[in-house]
Amino acid sequence: MQVIPSLDILEGQVVRLVRGEFASAKSYGEPAQVLESLQVPRGSRLHLVDLEGSRSGRPIETEVVRRLAARDLSVQVGGGIRSIEDARRWLDCGAVRLVVGTVAATSPQLLSQLVEAFGPQTIVPAIDVKDGVVRTDGWERESARGVDDILAAVESLGIREVLITDISHDGLLKGPSFGLYRQIRSRSDLNVIASGGVTSVSDLISLSRIGNVSGAVIGRALLEGKIDLERARAMIASPGTIPERIIPCLDVRDGRVVKGVSFTNIRDAGDPVECAMRYEAEGADELVILDISATDRDTGTALDTVHRVADSLFIPLTVGGGVRTLDDFRSMLRAGADRIAINTAALRRPELIRECAEEFGIQAVVLSCDAKRDGDRWVAAVRGGRELTDVDVVEWCMRAEALGAGELLLTSVDKDGTNSGFDIELLRAVSARLNIGVIASGGAGRLEDFSEAIESGGARAVLAASLFHDRQLTIGQVKQHLAAEGIPVRRTF
Amino acid sequence: MPTTLIDSPVANVANIARALRSTGSELVVTSDPDAIASARSLVLPGVGSFAAARSWLRQHRIDDAIREAVARGGWLLGICVGHQALFEQSFEMGTTKGLGLLHGDVTRLAGPLPVPQIGWNTVKLTGSSPLFDDIADDSSFYFVNSYAASGVASEIASADYSGPFTAAAQQGRVFGVQFHPEKSSAAGLQLLRNFVACK
Repeated sequence: MQVIPSLDILEGQVVRLVRGEFASAKSYGEPAQVLESLQVPRGSRLHLVDLEGSRSGRPIETEVVRRLAARDLSVQVGGGIRSIEDARRWLDCGAVRLVVGTVAATSPQLLSQLVEAFGPQTIVPAIDVKDGVVRTDGWERESARGVDDILAAVESLGIREVLITDISHDGLLKGPSFGLYRQIRSRSDLNVIASGGVTSVSDLISLSRIGNVSGAVIGRALLEGKIDLERARAMIASPGTIPERIIPCLDVRDGRVVKGVSFTNIRDAGDPVECAMRYEAEGADELVILDISATDRDTGTALDTVHRVADSLFIPLTVGGGVRTLDDFRSMLRAGADRIAINTAALRRPELIRECAEEFGIQAVVLSCDAKRDGDRWVAAVRGGRELTDVDVVEWCMRAEALGAGELLLTSVDKDGTNSGFDIELLRAVSARLNIGVIASGGAGRLEDFSEAIESGGARAVLAASLFHDRQLTIGQVKQHLAAEGIPVRRTF
Repeated sequence: MPTTLIDSPVANVANIARALRSTGSELVVTSDPDAIASARSLVLPGVGSFAAARSWLRQHRIDDAIREAVARGGWLLGICVGHQALFEQSFEMGTTKGLGLLHGDVTRLAGPLPVPQIGWNTVKLTGSSPLFDDIADDSSFYFVNSYAASGVASEIASADYSGPFTAAAQQGRVFGVQFHPEKSSAAGLQLLRNFVACK
């Protein structure tokens, strides 16, 4: 999959429009300088939008294209291509591909003339989709033709690649339109250049896994420094051999597995050792034990539980609950835990993270954070979700990473126990800002929730408790579902 | 014939002992150089830094004991930093000499993925070895490492983390695995069973 930097050009400058209004254009400077500051290497494919051209219906920024093409960039240009003459002007300036939007949806005849004149590899039809419906003319008008109809016509002309932009507002909050691209994959052999919603390297990795996505256009995330182009390209190029993990969680109180909704209404769910062994046999990649009594009471029983579970478990074991000091941390490791999750104690004294990382290595330190939605942000909750702090979750998690946390266990207090899906916006907001992995927790209900947490949420592991306890889903079913969606898993089925 | 597990303070000895016992092997856990030198089947564990592991081996003359056991025809399995210690040298915090039982160097994992590598990774068999008997190619094993040997002549399995590295090596009766078999579920236990069966 190619990562294609995208620049909007107005009056020779790289700009960004707010809500599509020209008067609001924010300038980022000369295209060549912008490309240099973004470290776009020579030979790169580049996506340019001629904003004035798009408004006036004729090529305007031909000089910009000429200069960039001369810098050994493979330029595709879009904006107001309405005739063979317009197309020829762009190609004469050195553009390699032409992105045609309105034409593809409204004038099949002109589209086929363009293909005939310049070859199918030169023409990239662009289709704007809002809530499954094709939009034309700057998103103002609804096209009479459906997505499938347009794609079939495009394919019959010998075109291999289309650019799809999902302009639904909801889509932007959950990232790129993975579902739409999958839908296209099932109905068409066309390759898709995905446009819109990409805010992190994780989004790019998820797009690359779909299979038919041959390119991803990124503009805003690049200009705002959210994506490092070189790192993004390297991550996509590395093979998908690192499996995403499925982690069952045992909430333990007084040596028994218990379960509850939103940390309350707790009932008994069995023996920890039996549960642990069953989960390993079913293909769990790791086990989390959260001692939910420990914050209130002593940790002696918890240590005994960890010891008993570790004795018969041969996958990594993460333990959390009531770890307050380096000594607590050490005792848990000695009892057989591989990694320790710290929560309340770290909030009270963040330096504990650094001390544990220095003493035991960052691989042993997991920051557990319980997040509660508070307007358009999230705040950290403590005491098993019963008490709120005014600590901003995103800032806290970034600080914890800097202090030496090796991974983050992020639980949505709002979603926990509801089986209504993960808080994808929370996962996106946090995972996009961290290099360490995020374990998604709270809300697993359906198979699709697991793939969504990884694909849209950017999680590297997904945790569930009651769902697996009640055998509503098995770990094997979840892994088969992820594998079918192109997400790498450790095969145990 | 018992398996001798070297009781290093810079290792997760308890977890490896549990896993070895679960294979049915009779186990001796010791740091006595004489017992190690006469062992027929040795496991060298290790976590943390190469230099700390190496310095403990030297201080207690366990490095010479291991060499002697191998010279006498004993079998040896190094795990994680114990695997790294088998090579000629490591560049973790300066240059530290290893046991030199396997040719090659240990270098830092370089690339876009976060270091240390923490988690499961797919292991590809690149040579034939009794260590991987009854283990499918592309099985996953659990890794925790910032350094690794790569492309060494003794490689029998490789993995990829921002680029290929040696996941397992064998030279005669000396084996090393970069991953943690004791945390790698059924595949890991099978590997330990295979090692214990080497006679």
